[in-house]
Amino acid sequence: MSPRDVGHDGGQFAQVSTGMAHAVEREIGQHLLALAHDGTEAAIDLRSIPMSDADRAELEESLGRGEVSATLDAMGRSDIWETAHAGVWWVRHFGTEGQVMAERIEIARVPDILRADPADVEAAAIRLGRARDFIDAHADSVAGG
Amino acid sequence: MADWMSQQGTVGEALTRQGISRRSLLKYSSYLATLLALPPTSSQAIAQALAGAKRQSVIWLSFQECTGCIESLTRSFSPSVEEMIFNLISLDYQETLQAAAGEAAERARLEAMEANKGKYVVVVDGSVSTRDGGIYSTAAGKTNLEVLKETAKDALAILSVGTCSSFGGIPRAHPNPTGAEPVSAIITDKPIINVSGCPPMPEVIAGTIAYLVTFGKLPELDHLGRPKPFFGDNIHDRCYRRPFYDQGKFAKSFDDAGAREGWCLYELGCKGPVTYNACATIKWNGNTSFPIQSGHGCLGCSEPNFWDAGSFYKPLPGRMTGAGEAVLGAAAVGAVAGAGSAFIARRRKAAASDPSASPSVPEGADQ
Repeated sequence: MSPRDVGHDGGQFAQVSTGMAHAVEREIGQHLLALAHDGTEAAIDLRSIPMSDADRAELEESLGRGEVSATLDAMGRSDIWETAHAGVWWVRHFGTEGQVMAERIEIARVPDILRADPADVEAAAIRLGRARDFIDAHADSVAGG
Repeated sequence: MADWMSQQGTVGEALTRQGISRRSLLKYSSYLATLLALPPTSSQAIAQALAGAKRQSVIWLSFQECTGCIESLTRSFSPSVEEMIFNLISLDYQETLQAAAGEAAERARLEAMEANKGKYVVVVDGSVSTRDGGIYSTAAGKTNLEVLKETAKDALAILSVGTCSSFGGIPRAHPNPTGAEPVSAIITDKPIINVSGCPPMPEVIAGTIAYLVTFGKLPELDHLGRPKPFFGDNIHDRCYRRPFYDQGKFAKSFDDAGAREGWCLYELGCKGPVTYNACATIKWNGNTSFPIQSGHGCLGCSEPNFWDAGSFYKPLPGRMTGAGEAVLGAAAVGAVAGAGSAFIARRRKAAASDPSASPSVPEGADQ
């Protein structure tokens, strides 16, 4: 999907390159230095700053694509990819009908949303435990066909 | 109303019961952070706060209304927004959605009030009839006026959803036969948030409720009691047609060449310059469009007395001054005109949404 397809007004402003992509890139550079230096993570909300579609496309092209990409299926799709710069992630969240809900650059070793949350891990362990108990309890009948 | 909508417990427990992962909550929190102009790094903290927060007991009262406000929320662009907001709250009474009827329904309201005394939030859509003791709008043998006073008495806060409950709306329009009044004219001893609009935007209703649940306090409000994160900007400042206003290019009729080119609808009566709402930024139907983008001027539906404020097609008197002049300065550099106005508006919005600057709900808020 092209950045031009992700929900803007199509008005005059959308086609104008304002130079904002360069400003955002410089900010990313500062955050990346902090991540390298002391592990400080950061994020930039691309929907909260006045970027035109053209700015967004320029930034995406400039940052490029890296080695990792992931698709998340939770409350709609999310596309997450590491840019050509290690530790700089582009995170684009879609709603259930394909509209962009949020879009951000995360400067981190791994974006939070890719990590399994402890509460989900615990729930999964309980579910697996119950499944194991069920199998054990019915082992004879299962074995006996 | 499904059972889970009115179950107590934490938001996290509600999500687990339905098999909704914390990733979904984190994703929703990213969306909320964007909506509320909060720092993007706050989404993890929002998700953790929401997961551990008790589901907010909500009693939803519908008075002189058209049901458009609840339709706006429940038929919002994305079912996920609706589902997520119903995970944040325990909807203990809502006439349109609840399965119970008659005495059982009224009993549910009274039981919720007793069980959550001092902690529940009352959502009101519709204005309140006050003439002749309020007899022009009744349910279950009680006037709306009585039910509002009775229910608000032990409430934590009141959320007036829609222009009718916020400002009186169309029922209060001349000649106002029922003596319709907004909630704030009747209840004066409780925090009231006005989420105006006819109807209000679903994201604004949901975002305001989510703010309450997450931070346990009211967002900063404007002089009309509206949450500044959503009502801090006027439509005009954030309108994509704004550069044409700055250039003096105005559509003269709805089907002329200028209108087709996207020129400003100011001279066709657009009320964008005096209307504060999030339509131009969040937009409707999944960020698809909003009235001005569809070719019609803004009606000003989120403002008091919009129905009696003169013709929708009569231009506002005079050209805009004040904040607009700052934007005109940015417009002088041509291509960045839109960026200039958006930046100014965003700066105001960011200042408005600092949770540390918000008033707290009264003592007893146990969230």
